[in-house]
Amino acid sequence: MPQGPSPALRAVRRSSRRSPGCLSPVGAAACAGRELAVGEKHCQNTMDKNFQEEFTQIIKFQPPLYKQRYQFVKDLVEKYKPKKVADLGCADCSLLWMLKFCSCIEVLAGVDICANVMKEKMHTLSPLPVDYLQPSERSLTVTLHHGSVAHKDPCMLGFDLVTCIELIEHLEESELKKFPEVVFGFMAPSIVVISTPNSEFNPLLPRVMLYRHPDHKFEWSQAQFQSWALETARCYNYSVEFTGVGHPPAGMEKVGFCTQIGVFVRKYPQTGESLQSEKPTEAVYKTVFKAVYPSLKDEKYLQNAVISEVIFTAQIIKHHLMSKHKEYGDECERKPKFQPSMDRFSDHLGKLVVEKDMEPFVSGNEIYIPLTTIFSFPKVNRLCGTFEKLRELIAGKVTLSSDGSAVMFNIEHENEEN
Amino acid sequence: MTGRARARGRPPRQAPALPAVGGAPVPQGVPGQLRGQQQPQQAQHPHPQQLQQPQRPQHPHPQQLQQLHVPPAQAEEPGAHGRLRGCEGVLQERRPEGLLVSSGLQDMSLRDRGGRRRDFHDLGVNTRQAMVHVQESKTGFSGKMIKLTTNHFRLTSRPQWALYQYHVGYSPEMEARRLRSALLFQHEDTIGRTHAFDGTVLFLPRKLDAKVTELFSRTRNGEDVKITVTLTNELPPTSPTCLQFYNIIFRRLLKMLNLQQIGRNYYNPNDPISIPNHRLMVWLGFTSSILQYEENIMLCADVSHKVLRGETVLDTMHSLHSQVGEERFRDTCAKELIGLIVLTKYNNRTYRIDDIDWDNNPKGTFRKSDGSEISFVEYYKKQYNIEISDWMQPVLISQMKRGKGNIQGSVALIPELCSLTGLTDKMRRDFNMMKDLAIHTRLPPEQRQRELGRLLNYIQKDDNVQKELRNWGLSFDYKSVSFTGRVVQGEKIIQSGSMFDYSPQFADWTKETRGVPLIHAVPMDSWLLIYTRRNHDVANTLLQSLFKVTPSMGIHMNKPNMIEVDDRTEAYLRVLQQRITPDTNIVVCILSSSRKDKYDAIKKYLCTDCPVPSQCVLARTLSKPQTIMTVATKIALQMNCKMGGELWSVEIPLKQVMIVGIDCYHDTVAGKQSIAGFVASLNQGMTRWFSRCVVQSRGQELVDGIKVCLQTALRNWSKWNRCLPSRIFVYRDGVGDGQLNTLVNYEVPQFLDCLKSIGADYSPKLTVIVVKKRVGARFFAEIGGGLRNPPPGTVVDTVVTRPEWYDFFVVSQAVKNGCVAPTHYNVVYDTSQLKPDHVQRLTYKLCHMYYNWSGIIRVPAPCQYAHKLAFLVGQSIHREPSLMLSDRLYYL
Repeated sequence: MPQGPSPALRAVRRSSRRSPGCLSPVGAAACAGRELAVGEKHCQNTMDKNFQEEFTQIIKFQPPLYKQRYQFVKDLVEKYKPKKVADLGCADCSLLWMLKFCSCIEVLAGVDICANVMKEKMHTLSPLPVDYLQPSERSLTVTLHHGSVAHKDPCMLGFDLVTCIELIEHLEESELKKFPEVVFGFMAPSIVVISTPNSEFNPLLPRVMLYRHPDHKFEWSQAQFQSWALETARCYNYSVEFTGVGHPPAGMEKVGFCTQIGVFVRKYPQTGESLQSEKPTEAVYKTVFKAVYPSLKDEKYLQNAVISEVIFTAQIIKHHLMSKHKEYGDECERKPKFQPSMDRFSDHLGKLVVEKDMEPFVSGNEIYIPLTTIFSFPKVNRLCGTFEKLRELIAGKVTLSSDGSAVMFNIEHENEEN
Repeated sequence: MTGRARARGRPPRQAPALPAVGGAPVPQGVPGQLRGQQQPQQAQHPHPQQLQQPQRPQHPHPQQLQQLHVPPAQAEEPGAHGRLRGCEGVLQERRPEGLLVSSGLQDMSLRDRGGRRRDFHDLGVNTRQAMVHVQESKTGFSGKMIKLTTNHFRLTSRPQWALYQYHVGYSPEMEARRLRSALLFQHEDTIGRTHAFDGTVLFLPRKLDAKVTELFSRTRNGEDVKITVTLTNELPPTSPTCLQFYNIIFRRLLKMLNLQQIGRNYYNPNDPISIPNHRLMVWLGFTSSILQYEENIMLCADVSHKVLRGETVLDTMHSLHSQVGEERFRDTCAKELIGLIVLTKYNNRTYRIDDIDWDNNPKGTFRKSDGSEISFVEYYKKQYNIEISDWMQPVLISQMKRGKGNIQGSVALIPELCSLTGLTDKMRRDFNMMKDLAIHTRLPPEQRQRELGRLLNYIQKDDNVQKELRNWGLSFDYKSVSFTGRVVQGEKIIQSGSMFDYSPQFADWTKETRGVPLIHAVPMDSWLLIYTRRNHDVANTLLQSLFKVTPSMGIHMNKPNMIEVDDRTEAYLRVLQQRITPDTNIVVCILSSSRKDKYDAIKKYLCTDCPVPSQCVLARTLSKPQTIMTVATKIALQMNCKMGGELWSVEIPLKQVMIVGIDCYHDTVAGKQSIAGFVASLNQGMTRWFSRCVVQSRGQELVDGIKVCLQTALRNWSKWNRCLPSRIFVYRDGVGDGQLNTLVNYEVPQFLDCLKSIGADYSPKLTVIVVKKRVGARFFAEIGGGLRNPPPGTVVDTVVTRPEWYDFFVVSQAVKNGCVAPTHYNVVYDTSQLKPDHVQRLTYKLCHMYYNWSGIIRVPAPCQYAHKLAFLVGQSIHREPSLMLSDRLYYL
């Protein structure tokens, strides 16, 4: 295969290929169509050389357009901090995958008409081993639904942000008609983002004959999109602002963005639960994937984390206490030299206001480390919040002194350690 | 030191239920010895080095091309799943590519597993066909029958099942695999929904109507493409390609069950066992392999434990810092961390830490694939919304290797974003930790089978999994395979003219032979006892105890030269230089701590510069009055072996036989050296051994060195016996998964060459047996309605052995906790004409001959000796010890 094309070319190709709109009810065929678009290399292969050069001169999207679209959504998420986000026409879940790292989001949902394309990469949305090892503070549930945006399903209620990236142009006329009612009327999230190709830009994209993608049912000019959007917004009591990604080349600003975007904001306040329950609908979507991320919001994980932190902290204190002991008597070979800069714990110990009842002490073969001391460690503190919560969580799981005020260790066998 | 004495004495017993540590490439994951740390009642604390078994080479092979300093996962490939980890051994370099596996399947695995795949199961190495005497039968006959079940499950397929392999061509030629797939799967109505396709090779569970099918697709550019699907192969269920295919399908199933892939195995993240004392978490998982066994294709599934750590590498660095202080901090980090496998916070890959870049930090930049520079901080923020909190931490370096092209690069990782897996050497030395861990990982037979049952239950209950299986026309027998094994009779232990039976249940004769004179006791006429001032009393206690225990063993002992030294390495060495005379029998050093450098320095000096047997003892092990006699007894025995004494023997019916044991130690951390220990018997009773080792840097061939060893061994044997041996048995341990072919094709011919070089008329009978401790197979004896560990001496040579090999399993050791691991013996070359029964019996006899353990061990004694030798050299000495010591077990 010939040398790869210039980055610019690649950028453009991607821009037109990552139209994750596979919501057309045509189903599998549409999916395959989407797949075809992926064959960028092929396109490069058959591309006429001269054409390429000309092309490079015309357009340069850096970063690639699809990334710009995703970044646009990400920025929006950063700005509005939605908790529940749904991506309609999520295709291979790349946008969802990016969004799962946004710490404000607690519920992520994807909908696509084609289950296969979702399944292909849905495992990337599963929690990683590390998510189990270090459960995060926020909770996160990711769900993928197989269904059409022309149908209402109660599982789509209550979202804060709904994204439709390169979706609507894949809809048949009949579906497009139902779409506003489903998204704006039924789901009624606070914000809706809709992106779609700007047909005025197409002449700048060589080899785009009619549409950028064979599955596109239409591609709108700026005026067409805006009138549809304004009408929809008016009808469902939303405001809409227009923007886009993919700047036109200098001197051709009239053409507008390569991808045009409408951001719709609901003008009326949050619909109450009661109102939603008045929208009786049967579930028509099929759930193809669901992942619940481990979270400290879940008592089970919180308890594990607290116990582990408490015991670990106590061990550190014990270690310090015992090495202090040793330093006196023994001609100890390696006296620990603590470097406050690197040693968080000794640092913290040093700073502790040593109140009488907070001082760990040794009694016979036992070491007592008061819970108040442990609680004063930032990590433990942050996890539990209150001292009572700490007590409650470790009850029965950590060996405590008889009055329950201190963690107790037996050090009888301790000397046998290295 | 008994710590040492015992640790050394610790036979490699069983290795079941071990936490699969870090990147161990084999199912069992953890060095067998860990598991086998069942010490005699008075639990002693083993010396650091002793616990560790030579690490098998475990270089992860993330098959991925990476430029220098490109952090993992690019956004373009989010969450790529865990990578296949290969292991690469000494023998790797000359391993011929592409064994007998069809190239098509390799392509497929490339697709499915994200990398070049190694033939872990040594498929297609057919050694049995060359051995005429075992063509008919390779089974033994002696012993009592015993009913056994195992962890193998039959794989069944529809009658007349076959896998159809097609070649798929495109006209015009299409490059992108995804495009090729998309174009092809436009025709799902023709090819069906069940398929596996790698871009070129298509596997289908059914036959298409025509041998050549032409399909027409159109790309989005409106280009018409002709796809030609040509039947190239009709694979019977037993073909090697099919076997690999089953394994891939089975892994798909595990993934469908939402198990998490870490390394090569799959683990259930939902019910972790947490061990907060040590900040450990253990995940329960499964190892699986599907292979053609004697009569059936079976799934061998076993429970595996993955030890994960609830802390990041940065956390570990902090606690190391607080433990060792500034000046030793970097060294300690390197020692503790390099070689460990980490998981990252943002993708599902494992990386091996190869280096730590102290001059770099998260503010440092790297070049992205598109050529732009970006700092780590920015990159992780942008890419994963991760804020790196500590901007002063160093950066971890992981080498990436790409199998075929050998394109290398390295990846930089941020400690804060990496979680450790597995255990560090230090943790392994922590007796308490290992004890706490063992509670969870050493599952007794019943429980092990129950856990396994749970997996099969998931498989059986999950609709998607069942559908996938049905689509391929496959299913499993959910009841494990049962068969009959044999328990061969126990051996008689011969010591100074008396014969002893041991209790078969414990496989140990410590009690029976207590106070019995040794076969050959070397007198301790002139010896040194070196200790620090602080251990003066301890030294005296040891001396008195030795005087009490040695007479009954027949050891004559004079008062030693007692020397007090400062507790510094140089002080010990100076004393050794000054006080050792040509008459010195042995040097005993009492050490006050288990610091490795002092031990290493002493051993190095006494093994190379001034070859004298030596015994190091930890003062602590002598400090308990209640155990001192036992400890002294062990030390006396061990010292005697080191000086050339002989303890006990078993009856060896074969005459003029030389037994050779070989094992390897791979130093993965420091010098990248590999050491092969080579041990050969010198006498009829197998009580004296000749030992040498080969030290080689990475990439060198092992076999050349072994040839030299064999030559000198033969010379020494003939010196002792005034003739050359007529039979030679080589027990070869340390052969990694997938290395069998190399062994058969390169190493065995070298042995033969070497024998030829001895003399034209010399042609002894040669038997080469590959010993494998880490195998997936487990056997359970059905006793009284329950499952128990099979007794020592259980031999299995049917049903779960491989038809193309002359192989058998022996359970030789007894375990107190957990499941016993059988040892697999594969006779790859045999001109002895001995019956399989005799080879099995001889093997079992040799498991009785390890002098550091008065009981039966997991492997033949020469293998364990070779292991000890290689380990000592690899850990402490780093070059070949003096040949003056070669007729003694100085490395025990």
